[in-house]
Amino acid sequence: MLVFLIGEAIRDLRRAGRVAVSAIVLITLSLAALGGFWLLSSNLARAVANWRERVRIIVYLKREPGAGEMQALIDRVESVPGVAGVVYISKTDALRSLREVLGRDASVVAQLPSNPLPASLEVAPAAEAATPEGARALLARLQALPEADEVAGSADWVERLSQWQRLVTTIGLGIGAVLGLAAILTVTTATTLILHARRHETEIMRLVGAPESAIRLPLLLQGMMQGLVGAALALAVLVATHELVAPRLEPLVNITLGLPHVAFLPPASLVALLVAGTLLGGLGGWLARTRSDAR
Amino acid sequence: MIELHRVSKVFSVGPVKVPALTDVSFRIGKGEFVVLTGASGAGKTTLLRLLYRDDLPSEGEVEVLGHEVGALRRSQVAALRRSIGVVFQDAKLLPARTVYENVAFVLRVLGTPRREITQRVFDALRVVGISARAQAYPAQLSQGEAQRASLARAIVRKPSLLLADEPTGNLDDAMEAEIIDVIKDIWAGGTTVVLATHQARLVQALHRRTVTLEGGRVVKDEG
Repeated sequence: MLVFLIGEAIRDLRRAGRVAVSAIVLITLSLAALGGFWLLSSNLARAVANWRERVRIIVYLKREPGAGEMQALIDRVESVPGVAGVVYISKTDALRSLREVLGRDASVVAQLPSNPLPASLEVAPAAEAATPEGARALLARLQALPEADEVAGSADWVERLSQWQRLVTTIGLGIGAVLGLAAILTVTTATTLILHARRHETEIMRLVGAPESAIRLPLLLQGMMQGLVGAALALAVLVATHELVAPRLEPLVNITLGLPHVAFLPPASLVALLVAGTLLGGLGGWLARTRSDAR
Repeated sequence: MIELHRVSKVFSVGPVKVPALTDVSFRIGKGEFVVLTGASGAGKTTLLRLLYRDDLPSEGEVEVLGHEVGALRRSQVAALRRSIGVVFQDAKLLPARTVYENVAFVLRVLGTPRREITQRVFDALRVVGISARAQAYPAQLSQGEAQRASLARAIVRKPSLLLADEPTGNLDDAMEAEIIDVIKDIWAGGTTVVLATHQARLVQALHRRTVTLEGGRVVKDEG
């Protein structure tokens, strides 16, 4: 029975011709746009997560603590709310780092009469403190330490990146929704044409006592087929675009976002796009049937 | 098998009420061959439509195969129709399907197993004498052949009741005789037949019980 109903749905699609093709193209466009923005957003989300992990607050100390004082200071800072970890950087370590940063120009350091760099604590904020508000509150708490000379660092720019990511997601959803709506309307139009072309079959089916499911299912199936084909084409477009564009973008993405490569959508997202396409098409088919019943 | 009790049907055309059937009562037993006759507009088609529950009576009760048709839900209507074969003046074949596919279509929508379909379709085509035209499309058939295919589609489910609405209305005398012979064969196989026709000559030739309608009323029931 199912094979027969699928056969009927394919026959209907052929009848709908260009309108069905238009519906498939619109579903492809809407899901490709949605998938494209989703891909962009997921890579930005990866960058935000990476950078959130890399946020550090530096507490410059008024003086280098003695060997006995250092562990007590670290323990005290670790107990400050919002602190995930603390690394002590001695004056000597700071100077070594400077030399490494300067590279070939490190000889400049040798000209210094004494080590001007202060000892510091590199504080890794906990996840809840890696936001602008959390970081500002943590900064205030660290500034209150009697040993602290100056406190530097913020999560503002990470948050800005996060805002961009949210904006990209919203735009993607908006464009996807508008195109998706257009796709549903086109599938509805295609199905209405099919309903007209199928009227003799429907009449015969009702006359011989076919179950309602056998009358309705081909319409729903053809809508779902349009959606599935559209979604599969959208995935093909996304894969091809990613293969073509991602390698060219990677150097830029590496420098600006710190990502080693532009990742493609995970399998779960691909399945979600296929399901979304199938549902879009099915909804169009169902709407046309319901509208026809109402008339 | 069929019982009509004080059945009336009124169609509303805007504010105007048009009576199509008025106070119609009769009974048809299992295995009968009944001819429903009357001039065009007498109410024959309306009466047949009530029997296969394509429409509901305005008043009265219509009982078909033990079911009061007015009380049936949609799924029960479908179940009732599976026991009724219907043929019309226009064969109503699906133009994009062959004769075989037209007849098989009915079995396929009812979920008949594929292995049974071929056998049953060819059995039905043999009964109506059109097996040789199984692969022809409706456009390639004569009117008589198209009506035979339509009859094959109506009987392929082995219905217990066959309703034929002017089945020979479009046919010449020779084709008419052939179709009537086929319907008689179907009836001889145990199927109850109700045949509506306005052709007085055909009524006389059939020599069966005849219910005559005039202006929506039964004016004669004889034979």
